[in-house]
Amino acid sequence: MSTDYQYVPEPKLVKGDHTFGSITDIIAKTPLSPTPKLWYLAFGVANVLLITLLGAIGYLVWDGTGIWGLNNPAGWGWAIINFVWWVGIGHAGTLISAILFLFRQGWRTAINRFAEAMTIFAVMCAGIFPAIHVGRIWVIYWVFPIPNQMAAWPNFSSPLLWDVFAVSTYFTVSLLFWYVGLIPDLATLRDKAKSKVAKIAYGIGALGWTGSFKNWWHYEKAYMILAGLATPLVLSVHTIVSFDFAVSVIPGWHSTIFPPYFVAGAIYSGFAMVLTLMLIARKIYGLEDIMNIDIMEKMNLVMMVTGNLVAFAYLMEGFVAWYSGYIYEQGIFWLYVVGPYAWGFWILMFCNVVTPQFLWFKKIRRNVALTFVISIIVNIGMWFERFMISVASLATDFMPANWDYYSPTLWDILTYVGTFGLFFTFFLLFLRFLPMVAIAEVKGVMPQADPHNYDEETKEFDVSKTEPVVVQQEQTV
Amino acid sequence: MSEDVKNPNYWKSLGELARNDEYEKFVEREFPENATELNDEVSRRSFLRVMGASIALAGFAACRRPVQKIMPYSKMPEDVVPGKPLYYASAMPFQGALDGIVVENNEGRPSKIEGNELHPSSNGNTSIFGQAAILNMFDPDRSRKVRKDGEQSSVSAFAKFCSEHFADTSQNIAFISEANSSPTYNRLKEQALDKFSNAQWVTYEAFGEDNALEGTNIAFGQRLRTVNHYDKAETIVSFDHDFLNPAGDNNSVQNTKQFTDGRDVTSPEDEMSRFYAIESTFSLTGSNADNRLRVKSGEIDLFIYALAAELAKSVNGLSAFSGYTNKFSDHEWIPVLAEELLENQGESILTVGRDHKPALHAAVAAMNVALNNAEETVTYHDVPHIDNHNNNEAFAEVVESLENGNIDTVVLVGTNPAFTAPADLNFSDALSNAGQVIHLSEYYNETSKLANWHINRAHFLEAWGDGYSYSGTRSIIQPQIEPLYSGVSEIEFLSTVLNGEKPKGYDLVQHTWKDFYSSDFKAQWRKALHDGIADDTGFPTKSVDISRTFNNRVSDFLGNASTAEGMELVIRTDSTVFDGRFANNGWLQELPKPMTKITWDNVALMSKKTADELGVEEAGLGKAEVEMIAITVDGTTVEMPAWVQPGHADDSITITVGYGREGVGRVANKSGFDTYPLRTTDNMHFASDVSVEKTGQMYEVACTQDHNTMEGRSLLRHATLQEYREDPHFSSYESSYDAEMPGVAFAEEHGEDDPLSIFNPIDEQEYPDDQPQWGMSIDLNACTGCGVCTIACTAENNIPVVGKREVNRGREMHWIRNDRYFDGDVNNPKALHQPVPCMHCEMAPCEQVCPVAATTHSEDGMNQMAYNRCIGTRYCANNCPYKVRRFNFFNYTKEFLTGGDDPEIIQMAMNPEVTIRFRGVMEKCTYCVQRVNRAKINRDIETDGATQKPEDGAVETACQQACPADAIYFGDLTDPESEVVKTKKNNRNYLLLEELNTRPRTSYLSELSNPNPKLA
Repeated sequence: MSTDYQYVPEPKLVKGDHTFGSITDIIAKTPLSPTPKLWYLAFGVANVLLITLLGAIGYLVWDGTGIWGLNNPAGWGWAIINFVWWVGIGHAGTLISAILFLFRQGWRTAINRFAEAMTIFAVMCAGIFPAIHVGRIWVIYWVFPIPNQMAAWPNFSSPLLWDVFAVSTYFTVSLLFWYVGLIPDLATLRDKAKSKVAKIAYGIGALGWTGSFKNWWHYEKAYMILAGLATPLVLSVHTIVSFDFAVSVIPGWHSTIFPPYFVAGAIYSGFAMVLTLMLIARKIYGLEDIMNIDIMEKMNLVMMVTGNLVAFAYLMEGFVAWYSGYIYEQGIFWLYVVGPYAWGFWILMFCNVVTPQFLWFKKIRRNVALTFVISIIVNIGMWFERFMISVASLATDFMPANWDYYSPTLWDILTYVGTFGLFFTFFLLFLRFLPMVAIAEVKGVMPQADPHNYDEETKEFDVSKTEPVVVQQEQTV
Repeated sequence: MSEDVKNPNYWKSLGELARNDEYEKFVEREFPENATELNDEVSRRSFLRVMGASIALAGFAACRRPVQKIMPYSKMPEDVVPGKPLYYASAMPFQGALDGIVVENNEGRPSKIEGNELHPSSNGNTSIFGQAAILNMFDPDRSRKVRKDGEQSSVSAFAKFCSEHFADTSQNIAFISEANSSPTYNRLKEQALDKFSNAQWVTYEAFGEDNALEGTNIAFGQRLRTVNHYDKAETIVSFDHDFLNPAGDNNSVQNTKQFTDGRDVTSPEDEMSRFYAIESTFSLTGSNADNRLRVKSGEIDLFIYALAAELAKSVNGLSAFSGYTNKFSDHEWIPVLAEELLENQGESILTVGRDHKPALHAAVAAMNVALNNAEETVTYHDVPHIDNHNNNEAFAEVVESLENGNIDTVVLVGTNPAFTAPADLNFSDALSNAGQVIHLSEYYNETSKLANWHINRAHFLEAWGDGYSYSGTRSIIQPQIEPLYSGVSEIEFLSTVLNGEKPKGYDLVQHTWKDFYSSDFKAQWRKALHDGIADDTGFPTKSVDISRTFNNRVSDFLGNASTAEGMELVIRTDSTVFDGRFANNGWLQELPKPMTKITWDNVALMSKKTADELGVEEAGLGKAEVEMIAITVDGTTVEMPAWVQPGHADDSITITVGYGREGVGRVANKSGFDTYPLRTTDNMHFASDVSVEKTGQMYEVACTQDHNTMEGRSLLRHATLQEYREDPHFSSYESSYDAEMPGVAFAEEHGEDDPLSIFNPIDEQEYPDDQPQWGMSIDLNACTGCGVCTIACTAENNIPVVGKREVNRGREMHWIRNDRYFDGDVNNPKALHQPVPCMHCEMAPCEQVCPVAATTHSEDGMNQMAYNRCIGTRYCANNCPYKVRRFNFFNYTKEFLTGGDDPEIIQMAMNPEVTIRFRGVMEKCTYCVQRVNRAKINRDIETDGATQKPEDGAVETACQQACPADAIYFGDLTDPESEVVKTKKNNRNYLLLEELNTRPRTSYLSELSNPNPKLA
């Protein structure tokens, strides 16, 4: 046996010949330079969609949930599908920033800020649906345990109530986590901003950050603690969302496999959404060096793994239906495959089972165009997964006499499309005014941050090749 | 308004009490002219508006108490106590036969119709038409005024006209009347025929009993009414006779009761009758058959003659048929039927649908006599008020005289021939030749528009009247309210025509009834009013002999027997709108038709095979659009949607009438298709050589059940009587699935004997001792699937009509639905009916998932909805395995609470005991909690607070009360002697989706059938 081991160097996480200064420049450039015309165009489109959403919600409140395509067996339709879909998308950000942080995955720094922002806006979109899908929106606050003159508490055994707590906690923690991570970068922007308004605005956000050792020490601890807090939430939110279905008695819903299956699906769709957005942003904002192909490949690997977990869960559903001997479970699985919604099932199978198999090929994983296409297919697939679960299971449950066909109305579609307006309105504001990459964190994974001056290639110490740590002080003083 | 009304006993507002001018104006504003001009499409809102308008007028009752003295029924409070309804006995006339009813009257407003237990044709139950009659009365589209040549006039002007116009007693007058059994009416009819020397009287019913009467005339030489006693029969053979359906038989309520009595099985030792149905379309009655044979309607005569020929070999009296053969003579059914009929002589019934030719009725009557059934299971009655001529022919003659200009004056009472008369008579054109046309009708309908005088008619709940039940029980019809639109009853109308002044209906009826009682009139009148029936009345039974001319007639019939080849068309009454008279009733329009589950439309029914030949596809899950077909008979074409009806005879198409109305009312207009143009004097009920083709158009049909098979799930358990005897526990979970109930083994290991039963000892600890524990059981063997439970529930619980569009979207609001499954061969399946209300599960899945605890359990074991707490997540409905919860997707009720002209009155028009549900809340069957709580309070008071458990039978749910089959039992499960506990201990008792361990309080008794093993 050969004993000739060789050290295989990790590829550099930030490509190109960047200094700390150039990194700061390319990231901070966007918020500090004048607004490009293209941004106005995109923002205008997003605003139109946002107004569509508000209009659709207004009409909904005015006329009732009857404007949607809901019917008697299918009491939940697009609203709940969209809720689960958006919450699922909202999983990537916190996973990337918290779990990958705890696992010391340096590549996360290229995308964590971006993904966290996406998470927050996706959860906002998701949160709209459970609030507006109820029949009497004006008393939605009854789901909160607020002491009241009726002495009526919510029903703590209802998964919908658990949802309220799970999603609101997740949103709060995600927001805090995102904000804490932003503080050093806001200070950078404060220091680099020319306009007075910007200086004040970023200054308020930076909470008096000086870049002192004490600041950094507190920051790192707070970030670590929040990462620790956020980690279980990543798993719990979609677990609890899955309880909405799994705790019920409806065949196709009542399944113990749901929590892990939902979490895997959420990560799958979240990564797909981050990829979709990232591949556009890196091009437009010239961030190819930071959000580079290596990072895209790593994300594709995560998608491949979670995609196959989801595919495995589908197979298990079929197996359990057969193995349980439970005729209703068998019935609903068979109806998925050949029933009135079979078209949805086969779209789902293509998107979520066939598509991730392409990611076994390195060439595809590293191909930007194909990755972009796959990321979109995955998100379509995940939407159909929720469609099949919500609608198909309800529409054809225990008693065939109740079976009915659900189809959406224009208002279902407008409300869904409208949430993209909300999402992109916020996302465009984020891209415009905040640093879309965590400046401080990216620097931490650059070779310059590794001060032992040892060159892996020449196996020599070469002081001239690295910048001194002093650079960081320059930046914040 | 009359003088009496100015002094109302009850006031509904301070304004009314004060009776100021402003209020007077307010009250008068109630019926603005333009209220009828709301022109709408078939949409949700328009039906809401209709509902609203219907209800709006109900409140007017508060100041319209009737003038004459009427007697409250048995449950009489000391005086009228607001909030406590009074119950009055009355009767509902329908096609010349009365059904006894009891009307719930809330402070002068009739709000609910129940059956009269003392009345033999009702037995305390009602038909769908009886339940829906309330809404007919509160229909805003009823005619509100007298019209002369289309312009508003008055009753007094009409009386003045009559005194002048009818002074000439020798003019040619044609009276065309609907069937009416009223002795007062018939007294006036005699007077009219006496007074006017050249008058003729025709009774015109589009679907009347003339063929049946003609049949007995052929067989016995007398026009007699046939009354079948289904409870006495061992074997029943029906030829196209839909006798369990109110649209197919005038005595359906009693028929249903007797039919189910004869099939009541409580233990394997019991016997049940055997019912054979031979029919073309799959009727409600046919769906209850043990053996059913599909035969084209046009060939049923051949089948009857072949059977008669077979019977002639063994019994006397059928010699006319001896030796006759036709294509059915070798049919496997003939010897089997003959054998069974011969075994059960005197205990069998043969019956044929009233639409069939007199010859068939005559042949069947002869067979009944030959089999000694006459005077045993089948009785023949002399009905005094029935005309001695064939009215179908007489009507055609009158129309011919009209055409020739030989009629001076036409007086039409209630009937609507311009819509329903055979198309070839051109009734509308003929009518224009008459000098004067006078029409009494509830609606300003097709005939009214052609009349010189239109008189708006009072509803039977608004006017005095009388009449006979189908078998002759005499009753008085008491008004429950002053006529809403100052309508005139038919007896008042006829008397006005005769005497030139409008009398009081009360006096007319009393005048007639004075002849019935020789002594103590006052007491007897009061008793008849109170009981709803006159004692010891009934049409006398006639003993019958085969007429001497019968044999000759039969050879004619056999010579002219059908040779119908090709496609045939069967024209029938509609299961919900009948001949069109109920077309403006939202409750009936929205009631799914028993076999197709279609609402708001009529369709052309055909078998799968015929549909395949025509290239017509079946509707189904996710496919509401069906193909339109054009049906052509003798050059007349009607286009309507095609619908595949499993079990229909091949090469036969069934259509129903009554739809496609124009300008009648907001509900009726534009619903369905008018099929009367296909109906001619030759083809009143059947047409052969019909050409049918697809038009290529599509049409959306609102059907409430998209999937028709049970998919092998044991939801509706059924077996033959033989199988039940072999395995009395066939309906248990183990027998149904051939596997043990999940969880039973586990529970046994943990020392629980019967963990999944509703009598679980654990539950006794959960529920307080002083409370009853409610439960229901539904006997599927009794249930015929008629749907009266649904409509009774609608009336009791203020359930809104949502309209075709909403039904099509699967949003019908019925709290109890009737599932209909087909089982077996698609061409000749068995149909099964299952009413499904809320199961009131002890471990209710809905309660667990509501985030705000809006649905909870009561101490007396009911699953409750707190509407005010509900936020409308619909999670409960999703998690309900039975899908019995209904959601207010729109503000279905708000529009009729604030719409109309006087919201205050609308609100009073609701069943005051049941709250109205707002948009965005869930609702469902409550076990009629308002009735339950009333009984509990009464019991609490009676016993000085010792117990709240009402005695068994003290509470009846609306569905239970209406059910003519007595299929529904409801009561206290803690009372071991209660009826409901007895049924739950029956070995046929099972729980729906028992394996979910929801522990339903509603259970089912499995269905049995008794097919002839030789025909299996």
